[in-house]
Amino acid sequence: MREIEDFTLIGKTILRREDSYLLRGKAQFLDDLPEPRGLIHLAFVLSPHASAEILAIDTAAARALPGVIDVLTGEDLAADVPPYAPVIELAGYRGVARPVVARGRVRHVGEYVAVILAESPYAAQDALDLVGVEYEPLPAVATIADGLAPGAPVVHEALGDNVIFRTRFATEGFEARFAAGEVVLEEEFSLGRVTGVMIEPRGCMAWPDPIATGITLWTSTQIPHIVRTAIAEHLGMAEANLRVVTPAVGGGFGTKCHLYPDEILVVALARRYGRAVKWVQDRREDLLTNVHAREHVLRLRVAVGRDGVIAAADLDVRTNCGAYPNHPFSPTLEATAAVRMMPGPYRIRAYRYEAASVLTHTAPTGAYRGTGQPSAFLAIEGMMDRIGRRLGLDPAEVRRRNVVRPEDFPYVNVVGVRYDTGSYLPSLERGLEMIGYDAFRRAQPADRLVDGRYRGIGICNYTEVSGTGAPGWRVRGFARMPGFDSSRVVVEPDGRVAVYVSQADAGQGHFTTFAQIAADRLGVAWEDVTVIEGDTAKTPYGTGTFASRGSVVGGGSVIRGSAKVGEKIRRIAGYMLGCEPSRLALGGGRVFDRDDPGRGLTLREVAETAYSMNNLPLPQGEEHGLEATDYYDPPMVTMANGTHVVEVAVDPDDGRVEILRYAVVHDCGRVINPKIVAGQVHGATVQGIGEALMEEIVYDGGGQHLNASLLDYLIPTAMDAPDLALGHIETPSIDTVAGIKGAAEGGLTGAVPAIANAVGDALAGLGVSITRVPLRPSTIVGLIAAARAARAGAA
Amino acid sequence: MKPAAFAYHRPASLEEALSLLAVHGAEARVLSGGQSLVPLMNMRILSPAVLIDINRCRELAYIRREGGMIACGALARQGEAEASGLVAATLPLLASALPHVGVRASRNFGTLCGSLAHADPLAELPSVAAALEARFVIASARGRREVGAEAFFVSALTNCIEPDEMLAEVRFPVAAAGARTAFLEVANRGHGFAVAGVAATLEVDAAGRCAGVRLAAMGAGDTTVRLAAAEALIEDEGLSAAAIAAAGEAARAAVEPTADVHASAEYRAGLIGVLVGRALRAMAAAGPR
Ligand SMILES: Cc1cc2nc3c(=O)[nH]c(=O)nc-3n(C[C@H](O)[C@H](O)[C@H](O)COP(=O)(O)OP(=O)(O)OC[C@H]3O[C@@H](n4cnc5c(N)ncnc54)[C@H](O)[C@@H]3O)c2cc1C
Repeated sequence: MREIEDFTLIGKTILRREDSYLLRGKAQFLDDLPEPRGLIHLAFVLSPHASAEILAIDTAAARALPGVIDVLTGEDLAADVPPYAPVIELAGYRGVARPVVARGRVRHVGEYVAVILAESPYAAQDALDLVGVEYEPLPAVATIADGLAPGAPVVHEALGDNVIFRTRFATEGFEARFAAGEVVLEEEFSLGRVTGVMIEPRGCMAWPDPIATGITLWTSTQIPHIVRTAIAEHLGMAEANLRVVTPAVGGGFGTKCHLYPDEILVVALARRYGRAVKWVQDRREDLLTNVHAREHVLRLRVAVGRDGVIAAADLDVRTNCGAYPNHPFSPTLEATAAVRMMPGPYRIRAYRYEAASVLTHTAPTGAYRGTGQPSAFLAIEGMMDRIGRRLGLDPAEVRRRNVVRPEDFPYVNVVGVRYDTGSYLPSLERGLEMIGYDAFRRAQPADRLVDGRYRGIGICNYTEVSGTGAPGWRVRGFARMPGFDSSRVVVEPDGRVAVYVSQADAGQGHFTTFAQIAADRLGVAWEDVTVIEGDTAKTPYGTGTFASRGSVVGGGSVIRGSAKVGEKIRRIAGYMLGCEPSRLALGGGRVFDRDDPGRGLTLREVAETAYSMNNLPLPQGEEHGLEATDYYDPPMVTMANGTHVVEVAVDPDDGRVEILRYAVVHDCGRVINPKIVAGQVHGATVQGIGEALMEEIVYDGGGQHLNASLLDYLIPTAMDAPDLALGHIETPSIDTVAGIKGAAEGGLTGAVPAIANAVGDALAGLGVSITRVPLRPSTIVGLIAAARAARAGAA
Repeated sequence: MKPAAFAYHRPASLEEALSLLAVHGAEARVLSGGQSLVPLMNMRILSPAVLIDINRCRELAYIRREGGMIACGALARQGEAEASGLVAATLPLLASALPHVGVRASRNFGTLCGSLAHADPLAELPSVAAALEARFVIASARGRREVGAEAFFVSALTNCIEPDEMLAEVRFPVAAAGARTAFLEVANRGHGFAVAGVAATLEVDAAGRCAGVRLAAMGAGDTTVRLAAAEALIEDEGLSAAAIAAAGEAARAAVEPTADVHASAEYRAGLIGVLVGRALRAMAAAGPR
C-alpha cells in the first residue's frame, strides 16, 4: 500500500455517533427486539454437578405445566443436533466434541441438561424446577494440579488423560546458551480464573421465514460470519439460508467470540417447530457457562548475565481449559498465546517453551481481552524486577538493557513474529518520565514505608498482538479463523455513502470510525456516510471483531474499498469533464481538477451517471453502479506496544492496595480517532485493575462454582477507576494499510503485571514475593504474615 | 431472573398493611425499597406467595426528632437519611456509615428499616444500630412492641419479627454533646458490600477521659456483634496506646467470622482487631464534635 499522507479526518477526534442512542437507552439489544408472533421462549436446566452420570430425567411434571410447549433432553435432540467441535490443525491437539445438550454425562456445573420450550419466559422458568434429574455424582477435578495428578478422574475417557493439548519449542543450541548465563532465576507465576462480564449477557433468537426455508438468527456475538458458517455446516443447511444478524451488542471482550450451544439449538428448534425461538441469558448463567479465561500457571526460568541481560529463557505454561473445547478457538488459544507472546518487547534469542492445556470439570475457557498476554507479561515483567533485585540493578535499567532497540526494527522475534515498527524504548522512557520515576526512587525510603503504608512502583512494557491475518491464525492451528475482513463501499445514487463492513461492533465505535475513514478517503462529509455491519446478508464475509483487529483489518479494508470506488469516480468524472482521471481529486463532496478546483462535479452528479439517471454515457467498458468490495488479509500480526507505570501504597494491616498514580504510554500506530483510542485504553486498564486486584471465579475442589453472581464476583466500576495519565506515541506500521495497529487489549495486558510489580516493589523489603493475582486485601495480609513467619523461623 | 408468581397488595396506610399481614403473614413479605428483596426473588432464592408493598404508606416516610430520639419510619430512605441535616447534626455515626451502604442508586430506594429487617451480617446499618443502642418498633394488628438490637438480630438474614408483624420504625438516641464516632470498613472493592467493619462511639468527660465506649462489628459472625470485652477494657483502662492495642486484640479474639469467597475467617477477625484500634485512635485524637 502506498503511503497515504493527505488525511483530513483520520487522526481527528469526532464524538461517537453511537453515544446519542447508547447513552439515552435507545439502543436495541437482543432482548429489546420486537418479538415475532408465536415466539417460543427457552430456558435451560443446568447441571448442579461438576461430574455425574445422568441416570434419568423426568420431564412429565414440567410438560404438564400450562404454557410449556415441550421439554427436550440430550436424548431427544441427539438426532437433530450432534455434538460440535472446533476445527484445529495443530500437532499436539487431541479433539473432543461438546454436546449441545448433555447426554449421559455432565462435565461441569452449569452444563445444559434439558431445555424447556414455553410460551413465556416466566412459564419456562417455572418449569425448570419441575424437571427431575437423577444423577450419579462422579469424582471431579477442578484445578490444573488435580487434573494432572496421577490417577486423576479423566474428563473425557476417550483421551485417556486430561492433557488435551501439548506443544514444545526450542531454539537451536538452547541448552548451551542457557548454561552460558551467569545467574539463573526461576519463579512460578499464576493468575486466577476470570471472565469478560459484558454488561449485556448473551442471548439469541432464531426466526424462520414463513414463506421460504431461510432462518434469521439474531445473536449477541462478535463473529456473525463464523457463527453462520459453523451452524449451517453443523445442521446441514445451505449457508445462504441462514442469516446471522447482531443487534446492538452490549460488550463482548472475547467472551462473545465463540459459538455457543444455545446458538445452534435455537436454529435447530426454529426449524423443527417452524416458530421463532428465543433465549436470553441471565447473569448467573453468564458466570456459570460463558467462557472463562486465564487460570494459567507459568514457570519461567531465565539465565542472565551479570549485566542483567537475558541470555536464555525457558517457559512452562499450563492452562485450565475447562471441560470442553470451544469453537472456533479450542484450548490451544491461551496456551499458544502465552508462550508465543512472552518474549514481548525483549531481545530474547534463546528460548524454549512447553505448554499444556488441561481438561477439568469446570466451564470451558477461551478468549478474553488480552488472551495469554497478561499472563506472559506477568511472568517476564515479574522476572525483570527479580533480575534487578538479584543483581542490585534498578528494574527500569534492566528493562532498558533487554528491550528491542529502535535501530533493531524491523525485528523478527525468536518465534518468528515480525515486529515491523515499535517504540519500546521511547515508550518506557516516557512512562518513567511521566511518573517521575527517578525522583521517586531517590525519595523512596529503604524500608519503603511512608505514613504507615509501603510504597512501590511497578512497570510493565508490553507488546500487543493485533490485526492478525490468516498466517497468524494458521500457525496456531485455527482452521476456521479466516483472518481477512472486508467492506463494500457504495456511493448511492444520491451521492451519499454506505459502507458495509464484515465486522460486528460491540461498543467499540465502528459506526463512527469507519464513517470517518470512508469520509476521509472519499472526501465527503462524515455525516453523509452510513456504516452497516453485523449482518451476514448485507455485508461481505469476514472474521469479526476481536483480538484488536477492528481498525487494522476492518479499517484497512474500508480504506482500500474507498480507494477503489474513488478510482471509479475519477474515471467517470474524467469522462464527463473531458479530462484525465489522474488530474482529479476528491474533497468537499466533489470531484475536481487538482489544478483548477472550480472545474468539477458533485458526487451526486457522478452517481447520476453511474446509476443511469441522466442521458450521459459511461466511459467505454465501464459498468453501472458506483461501489467496490475489498477483502483485506493483513500480515501475520502487527505489534502495538506500550508501557504502564503505576505507584501504589499497600497497607500492611488491612492489606488494601491503593493506586496513587498511574501512567500509560501507548503506541497503536496510526490513530484514527484519538478519543476512541483513549477510551479503549481506559476501559482495558480498568479491566486489568479488576484482574489484578479483585476478580476471580472460584471453584471448590469438587468443581462447585462458588460465586456466580456479581455480588460475589467483583468487577471494577467507574468508581474504582484511578486518574490515568495518558501518553501517546504514534509509530505507524509499515506492514498494514495506513500504518494502523490495534489498541484494544494493551491496557489490560499492561495493568496486570504493572500492578503486581508495584505491590511486589512495595513489599520487597518484607520478603514478600508477588507471584499470583488477584491481590485482594486478605491475600496481601496473608502474604505478609507468611513472610514474617518465615523470617522469624529463619532467625 | 424471572420471579415466581406472587399476589401483590399495595396498602395505603400502616393499618391496612398490618391487616394484610394479619391475613397473609406467614406467606407474605413486606416490600419496601426492594433493593434486596427483588434480586432475591429474581434469583428465586425467595419466592413469597404474597408481596405487601408499603411504598404508598406515606405516613411511614419520616425522619423526625422526638425528645432525645430520632425516629425513622419504615419508608425513610437511606438516601434521605444521608442528605438529612437532622441526621448529620444528631446521628454522626449513621451519617458516616450511610455512604458505605451500597451505591447511590440503591440508597435512593433502599430504606433504613429494610436494611435492618434484612439483617445481612455484612450490612452496615445493623452495626450502627447496635453501637447506638437503637430501638426497633415492631407493629402488628395485635399492637406494638419495642426491642433492642440484641433481640432484633437473631442470625444471618433472620430477625425477631413475627409473620404478622413489620418493622414500623427505628429510633436512634441523639448523640450526646461531645460524643465522637467512627465508622470503618474494608471491602475488596471501594464500594458495595464490605468484608468487615466496625461502628464505634465514644463519650469523653470534661477531663477528656473515656466515659463510655460502644463498639459493634459487621462481618464478625451471623449478626452484628457488640465487642463487649474490648469496650470493657477501654472503659477500665482508658485510651492509652496499650489499652487500645489490647482492645483490638480482645476484639479479634471475641469474634467468630465465617470464611467465604471474599476473605478467610482469620483475615476478618484480624481486620476487626485492626479497625477497632483505628477507630479508637481516631476518636481519641478527635476533638469534641
Ligand atoms: C448494588 C447494590 C449494592 C448494595 N450494597 C450494599 C452494601 O454495601 N451494604 C448493605 O448493607 N446493603 C447493600 N445493598 C442492599 C441494600 O442496602 C438494601 O436496600 C437493603 O438491604 C434493604 O432495604 P430495602 O428497603 O431495599 O428492603 P427490601 O429489599 O424491600 O426488603 C429486604 C427484606 O426486608 C424485609 N423488609 C423490608 N422492609 C421491612 C419492614 N419495614 N418490616 C419488616 N420487614 C421488612 C423484606 O420483606 C425483605 O425480606 C446493596 C444493594 C444493591 C442493589
